[in-house]
Amino acid sequence: MPAPALKIEDLQKRYGNGVEALRGVSVEIAEGEFYGLLGPNGAGKSTLIHCTTGLAQPTGGTIEVFGHDALHDYEQAREAVGLAPQEVNLDHFLTCEETLDFHGGYFGMTRKDRRERTRELLETFSLTAKAKDRTRALSGGMKRRLILARALMHRPRLLILDEPTAGVDIELRLELWHYVQKINAEGTTILLTTHYLEEADQLCSRIGFIANGEIAAEGSSDGLAERYGVANLEDAYLALVGRKELSRSHIEAEVV
Amino acid sequence: MSQAARIRFLTLLQREVSRFMKIKKQTLGGPLLETFLYVTVFGAALGTRIKELHGVEYIVFVIPGLIMMALATNAFTNNSASILQQKFLGAIHDQLSSPASPLELLLAFSLGGFVRGAIVAVLTFIVAIILTALPVDHLLVLIPALFLVGFFFAQLGVLIGVRAEQFDDVAFAQTFVLTPLIFLGGVFYSASLLPEPFETLTKFNPVFYMISLVRYGFVGYSEVSIPLSLAALTAATGALFLFNLRLFQRGYKLRS
Repeated sequence: MPAPALKIEDLQKRYGNGVEALRGVSVEIAEGEFYGLLGPNGAGKSTLIHCTTGLAQPTGGTIEVFGHDALHDYEQAREAVGLAPQEVNLDHFLTCEETLDFHGGYFGMTRKDRRERTRELLETFSLTAKAKDRTRALSGGMKRRLILARALMHRPRLLILDEPTAGVDIELRLELWHYVQKINAEGTTILLTTHYLEEADQLCSRIGFIANGEIAAEGSSDGLAERYGVANLEDAYLALVGRKELSRSHIEAEVV
Repeated sequence: MSQAARIRFLTLLQREVSRFMKIKKQTLGGPLLETFLYVTVFGAALGTRIKELHGVEYIVFVIPGLIMMALATNAFTNNSASILQQKFLGAIHDQLSSPASPLELLLAFSLGGFVRGAIVAVLTFIVAIILTALPVDHLLVLIPALFLVGFFFAQLGVLIGVRAEQFDDVAFAQTFVLTPLIFLGGVFYSASLLPEPFETLTKFNPVFYMISLVRYGFVGYSEVSIPLSLAALTAATGALFLFNLRLFQRGYKLRS
C-alpha cells in the first residue's frame, strides 16, 4: 500500500507567547486526492501548513510526506512539497525568470532543467512577456500566478495552496481552478485552504473543518452537510462556527 | 556533497551575489568612493603634516586599515541587510521551505557578504597600489588575516540580520557598535601614540588586533603578537560560526 501524500498525527503547536495554534490535529491525505481545509481565521490552517513545510516547528506530533518524516528526513519531505503561500512573498530584486530559476536551484534542479521548466511555466501562466521584469512591477494577479508557478517549479507531488485566490478577480480565479484541477487529474495531490466555500465545494474531493486548532469534522461536501443536518457545505460551515443565523435560507425566511 | 546539495548551495550563493550586483552603485560604488575620499583626505591633508608613523609613510600606514574596514563593513552590511530584507518581504520562506540544510543556508548567506566585502577590498587595494607605494610584506599572514576578518564580519552580519526585527536594529548595530569599534581600532593612527588610558583601552577592542594583523601583512609593522592574534581571531570566527549554525538549526527568528 503506497504511503499517503500527507500523514499528520496528533500535531501540536504552541507559540512562544503561549498561543496554542494546533491541539492534536490528525489528517491523512491519500496520493492524488484534492483535500480542502476550511476554518475561520486563526483556526490553525496556516500553522498546519507552516509545520508541514518547515516554516514552523511543531511542539508535538508527527508529519510524514510520502512516508518521509518532515522533521528528520526534511530533505526528501520538502522536495515533494510545493507551497503557494497566502501572502505575496516575492523577492522584489528578482525578475520573474530568476524567481523560478532560483527556486528550482534551491530544490537541486539542474540548470538545463530549470531553464526548460521556467520557460514552460511562464508560458502556462501567461507571464512570458514579463520574464525579464522585476516582480515588484507585476500586477496583483500576475504576482499570484507567479507564486503558483514558483510552487510548481520543482514538480512537487504534493501542492499546498494557502488561500490562492484571495483577492484575485473572477477571471483569474477560474483560470487557477482550471489549472489546479488539471494537475490534480495528472496525479498531483493538492491541499487547499480557502475562505471561498464554493471553491472548496467545486474542487475538493474531501474537506476538513478546522476550528480552535482541532479538526472538527471531515468528509465530502455532501457528507459534511448531512453530518450537520443542513442543506449544503456553506450551512455546514456556519453550523461549525456557530453562526447558523447567517445561513441564506434563514435570512430569506426572515425577509419573507 | 551530493549534486543536489551542490546546486542548492550555489544557487543560494548566486542569489546573494546577484542581489548586491543589481544595486552595485550603492553596494560597490558607494564604498569605493568612500575609501577614495579617505585616501584623498588622509593622504593629501594629514599626510603632508604626518610624514611617517613607525617608519612607514602615513598614507601607506592607513591603507591596510582602510582595506580591512572596506572588507568588514561590506561583509557585515550586506548580510544583515539581505537577511532582514528577505524576512521583511517573506521571501526567505522560499529558501527556508526548500530542502537546503541549515549549514547550506548559513554558508550561502555568509559568503554573499564575504564576496561583496572581498570585491570592495580588492578594488580598494588596486586603487591603493596605483596611488601609493603599498607593499605586501607578509602574504602568508595577510591572506588568512583578510579571510578571517571577512568571514568574522560576514557572520556578525548574519547574526544581526537574523536577530533584527526592523531596519533600525541593523542601523543601530552598524552606527553605534561597528563603526566606533573600527574607527577606534587604529585605522588612522597607531595605538602606541595614544595617551593613557586610551592606549590600554584600545587593546580591549578586538578590531585593533584585526587591523594590526592586516597592517602587518602589508607593511610589516605590528603592535600585537601575530600568532596570538591569528589564533584568537580564528577562535572567535569559529565560535561565531557555530553560534549562528545553532541559530539556523533552531530556526531562531526565522521559523516560527
